[in-house]
Amino acid sequence: MAEIRKVAVIGAGVMGAGIAAHVANAGIPVLLLDIVPAGAENRNVIAEGAVAKMLKADPAPFMSKRAARLVSTGNVEDHLDQLADCDWIVEAVIERLDIKQDLYARIDKVRKAGSVVSSNTSTIPLDVLVQGLPERFAADFCITHFFNPPRYMRLLEVVQGAKTRPEAIESVSRFADVTLGKTIVMCKDRPGFIANRLGVYWLQVAVVEAVDGGLSVEEADAVVGRPMGIPKTGVFGLLDLVGLDLMPHVNASMAKALPAEDPFHAANRDLPLITKMIAEGYTGRKGKGGFYRLNRAGGGKVKEAMDLVSGEYRPQRKAELELPKKLKDLLASDGKAGRYAWRVLARTLSYAASLVPEAADAIPAVDEAMRLGYNWKFGPFELIDQLGAAWLAQRLAAEGMAVPALLTLAGEKSFYRVEAGKKQYLGLDGAYHDLLRPEGVLLLADIKLNAKPLLKNGSAALWDIGDGVTCFEFASKMNALDPDIMALLGKALKLTAKSYKAMVIYNEGGNFSAGANLGLALFAANIAAWTEIEQLVAAGQETYKALKYAPFPVVGAPSGLALGGGCEVLLHCAAVQAHAETYVGLVECGVGLIPGWGGCKEMLARWAANPKMPRGPMPAVAKVFETISTATVAKSAAEAKELLFLRPGDGITMNRDRLLADAKARALSLVDGYAPPAPADYILPGESARVGMVMAAEGFHRRGIATKHDLVVAGELARVLSGDGADISKPVDEAHILEAERAAFMRLVRHPGTLARIESILETGKPLRN
Amino acid sequence: MANYQAPLRDMRFVLYELNQGADLCKLPGLEDMTPDLFDPVLEEAAKLCEQVLHPLNRSGDEEGCTWDNGAVRTPQGFKQAYDLFREGGWTGLACAPEFGGQGMPQMINTLVSEMICATNLSFGMYPGLSHGAYTALYAHASDALKQAYLPKLVDGTWAGTMCLTEPHCGTDLGLCRTKAVPQADGSYKITGTKIFISAGEHDLTENIVHLVLARLPDAPKGIKGISLFLVPKFLPDADGTPGRRNGAACGSIEHKMGIKASATCVMNFDEATGWLVGEAGKGMRAMFTMMNEERLAVGVQGLGLAEASYQGAVAYARDRLQGRSLSGVKAPDKAADPIIHHPDVRRMLLTIRATTEGCRALAAWVANRLDIAEHSVDGPEKREAEDFVAVMTPIVKALMTDLAFEAANHGMQVFGGHGFIREHGMEQLVRDCRIAQIYEGANGIQALDLVGRKMPAHAGRYLRAFFHPVGDFIAAHVEDDELGPFVQPLAKAFVRLQQATGQIARVGLAKPEEAAAAATDYLRLFGLVALAYQWARMAQISLPKADQDPFYRAKLGTARFFMERMLPQTGGLFSALMAGGGALMDFPEDAF
Repeated sequence: MAEIRKVAVIGAGVMGAGIAAHVANAGIPVLLLDIVPAGAENRNVIAEGAVAKMLKADPAPFMSKRAARLVSTGNVEDHLDQLADCDWIVEAVIERLDIKQDLYARIDKVRKAGSVVSSNTSTIPLDVLVQGLPERFAADFCITHFFNPPRYMRLLEVVQGAKTRPEAIESVSRFADVTLGKTIVMCKDRPGFIANRLGVYWLQVAVVEAVDGGLSVEEADAVVGRPMGIPKTGVFGLLDLVGLDLMPHVNASMAKALPAEDPFHAANRDLPLITKMIAEGYTGRKGKGGFYRLNRAGGGKVKEAMDLVSGEYRPQRKAELELPKKLKDLLASDGKAGRYAWRVLARTLSYAASLVPEAADAIPAVDEAMRLGYNWKFGPFELIDQLGAAWLAQRLAAEGMAVPALLTLAGEKSFYRVEAGKKQYLGLDGAYHDLLRPEGVLLLADIKLNAKPLLKNGSAALWDIGDGVTCFEFASKMNALDPDIMALLGKALKLTAKSYKAMVIYNEGGNFSAGANLGLALFAANIAAWTEIEQLVAAGQETYKALKYAPFPVVGAPSGLALGGGCEVLLHCAAVQAHAETYVGLVECGVGLIPGWGGCKEMLARWAANPKMPRGPMPAVAKVFETISTATVAKSAAEAKELLFLRPGDGITMNRDRLLADAKARALSLVDGYAPPAPADYILPGESARVGMVMAAEGFHRRGIATKHDLVVAGELARVLSGDGADISKPVDEAHILEAERAAFMRLVRHPGTLARIESILETGKPLRN
Repeated sequence: MANYQAPLRDMRFVLYELNQGADLCKLPGLEDMTPDLFDPVLEEAAKLCEQVLHPLNRSGDEEGCTWDNGAVRTPQGFKQAYDLFREGGWTGLACAPEFGGQGMPQMINTLVSEMICATNLSFGMYPGLSHGAYTALYAHASDALKQAYLPKLVDGTWAGTMCLTEPHCGTDLGLCRTKAVPQADGSYKITGTKIFISAGEHDLTENIVHLVLARLPDAPKGIKGISLFLVPKFLPDADGTPGRRNGAACGSIEHKMGIKASATCVMNFDEATGWLVGEAGKGMRAMFTMMNEERLAVGVQGLGLAEASYQGAVAYARDRLQGRSLSGVKAPDKAADPIIHHPDVRRMLLTIRATTEGCRALAAWVANRLDIAEHSVDGPEKREAEDFVAVMTPIVKALMTDLAFEAANHGMQVFGGHGFIREHGMEQLVRDCRIAQIYEGANGIQALDLVGRKMPAHAGRYLRAFFHPVGDFIAAHVEDDELGPFVQPLAKAFVRLQQATGQIARVGLAKPEEAAAAATDYLRLFGLVALAYQWARMAQISLPKADQDPFYRAKLGTARFFMERMLPQTGGLFSALMAGGGALMDFPEDAF
């Protein structure tokens, strides 16, 4: 199997450019080519412009500015010969068969033998794409369908043609999985593959049924949202996001490609309101507004929603619907919501059931595609299991709707089950098959099917993940750090020291941890429970210290947010293996506090030890002051390294599902000869530095950048970082800085300005700039 | 019947020494007030209450109200007393000057209310309800309605009511069925039956303004579908004189345990003409505007009755000779010693005294913050005052009425058999007091309001307005040589309160029923700590002055009694509520 060391992407539109950026994120050089526009002075203008635009985009396609340097730009007239160096060539040009085929012919002339060519098409069948092209080309060709935005969407649909070499598929899949971090779903060469085939149908049904059923957009989104586990946006919110104008195009191409008997045609109906909205420029968030908009007319900000009947905007209102918690109860309920939910889901789930084996070999592919491609919390077959396949079949039959063969096959069975600690799915042969994970994928969820935790309380658990390694899991609400977590972590360290070789701190929540439980802290502060708060700060310091000086290696394995206390736990680990999409920062200042669990202390040590820092204690202190006082958050693991939240030697895993295995391997690699770090002494600049930092903050205040309370917080931070009265000639120890952190924290947590900030974050999710 | 003398000395202490009452005049909108207005107001109120209202208390109770074909007659003398009350400007005491009121702060109003309730609670109901209606209209009604109705309510020629309860719903007003149908002219036709309507019908005023909760035809189910309407007994003419009789009639009056001179009516609305007050669907919000004031007022009702009971009991205990003191004869020239020498009688008297003085201080604290909440233009100060009032309202209402009932009971007990007969009026105080624990939100509901709404709101922010000042006070004084003995018990109880609060907030989040099961004990615990804080502060003020003035010596003595003999109840309450709700909820329903 050929290793992919260099990639080319042809077509620097949103998708092509995004794919190229993501290849660069993985540390792989990539060539990005596009056409030469008529009369262009700069013949590379399109590709270069795309990279420049991406460097400014938010959310950022690049994980760090450095990654952009791995993208070389060019055009298809002058630089096609550079494809000769590339192992994988991705075509992402306009969806026109003639253009694609012409390009393929040109590519085939210059590419090296054994390189793989793939198309990012979403509408043209593979069979058609390779028609008339040489056998050799067809053998190296497949479809790799990325989702937008390529950095963030984990789904990659891959279609293997009749003539495609298995090795070509293997090589691209492996690269996309391990190096790019995508989850591969193999699809048949059918229109829309899997995710869009079902997703477009679902959206269309959900919109049409809302209009027919007389639901408001808020009501429809409330029904489709939480109860069905479908994106927070709901249906109309999602359409606003992707753009209303896309819908007619996608529907038309689907209609053209699908056979006459496909249920899609029955749902595909033009809605005059949407036609009118598109014509008038109300195409969603990118346009003048969509089904929702923020009306800023008259200086205010009014959240408005489209009235589906009148076609006029009106103030947004909360859906007043009684929604049962269980999906089955919702579908069985006879209100507006229940009827709508049934009409949408009955058809969507039936359609999903008809896609196996039509578009996918087995049901897990459909579920995976919908979870990762449309952010459904549950795939359609998981939803059917919540209802019972038999219940669904019965009700469909009772209402005179067709019962899909797959439901009949399932009968009384569920589509998934756990047998002997293994998750299994129902095959088309009517038997259950093990759900196989790709090699190198280790999931805590799978381990949990088989084992009981070594330790557990209401907020955390410790698991044995084999080979002498334990896994400490945060399991509190939102993985917020609380006294229970600290207590169990203390116990876990003792148990691991006694009976195991290493520990990994990892969980499979959406976020590693966004920090301490602020609700708890604010409540305690509101009832003046100062002793308890101080004890919590002290307990955190003690626990993290025990973590740092544990006699075995502890590897932090974050994904998603690792903020505040969640960042501090990583700062105390022997090593970190981070998912590439990890967002790290010490954000305490944003809520009017300072890091109190050793965050100041560890960052001081890291920057002081950084060989790139100028001499003397002040530069490191100033750098830490800047990072913490502005609550800087690294927007990727790569950026976290630049900010020293991660060390240069810490590992990055691109594929979320491979994080635990990588972290475990890393922990084991550290076991032989492991010695905990020696406690560091700190040389800190003292009072004059404190004054300097305070003056800097006051400067920001005068320029309107820092607020009044920012000054209070910055003052406390400066006091801690300068060493709280330390003398430059006398090193201080860790305990001294920890005490300063604690004292500053306690002063701030009593401050009304801080309490107001915490309350604002908790209640509105927005920082208060007081 | 026992005499009553308004406790003006203690009121002045609470007003000026404990609460810096003079500072009230610095609040925006109260600048025209001067502290030298306050004393005459209190003195005049005392005179009116002692000389006019008090003599009617017993006779009013005996005679009660009478219903005759839709008309209700108040007991003899009430109409004349009301006219004096009205002419004295008392109906507009705490109303806005723009509508003819005197614009007195809530603090003064609260002290005057106490005197009225102490001397004749039944009488006090009539102007009390009018003031509630005034507050709701002042905050929510359109300018036209305000111009037409407020001057009359303020000068007392018209009275007001609050029509909430229906036969099938009291606490759960979301079930309310009274209908309001919009008319072409912008008015509404109101139809339905309301019960337990205090002052729903009477002969004291020329017109009665009913505020009625009702449901519009297209209103959603539950609490969000309820709107507030103004429905006058007589529809005013263009010049404001009462004209055509409206379709609002009193069907009957209730026969009750207490407050018999207060007419409690069944009100039938039959296509009565009414006007929307505030926004459609926001009726409950409009009601809640006056709820804080009303609930404080009910707490003060209890306080007044407890004070009356104290005065009666002390007089009797000095007078009544029974048995000899266990520490030796105290009145050798008499056949027996006065019972005031017996420890258990002292226990009862001091319990009532510590209750009344503590509650007076607590009520004034809350009234002070109501004034700040109402008048302050300093954002944070105003919000903090609002937070404080929000959290303390259920406590003031439930704690003060529960303690007052116990106090009135103690007062009656001091009298022995003479308390049980009508002659001394002690049993009337007990009967009159009982309703205060029930209406304006039963005390159990107050406790739920505290743990279910006020405690979790904004992650406990309302609590901050209480816990921070108390915590700071303790930290500042717990080591004091002289004050320490008063602060240390407070500190101990405060920690219990903090722990109980944390516990309820934690378990309540996951299991609301646990919080509900702890609610009543928790409210009492909270209330006792609040009283303890007031007592510690009163001790702080009294310590330097105790040598010169027996008033302050008595304060210190009562403070000591509270700290040593009443506050320890917090330990029992703490144990009980920390035991959780299992014992309540595990008990099989069919075993009851």
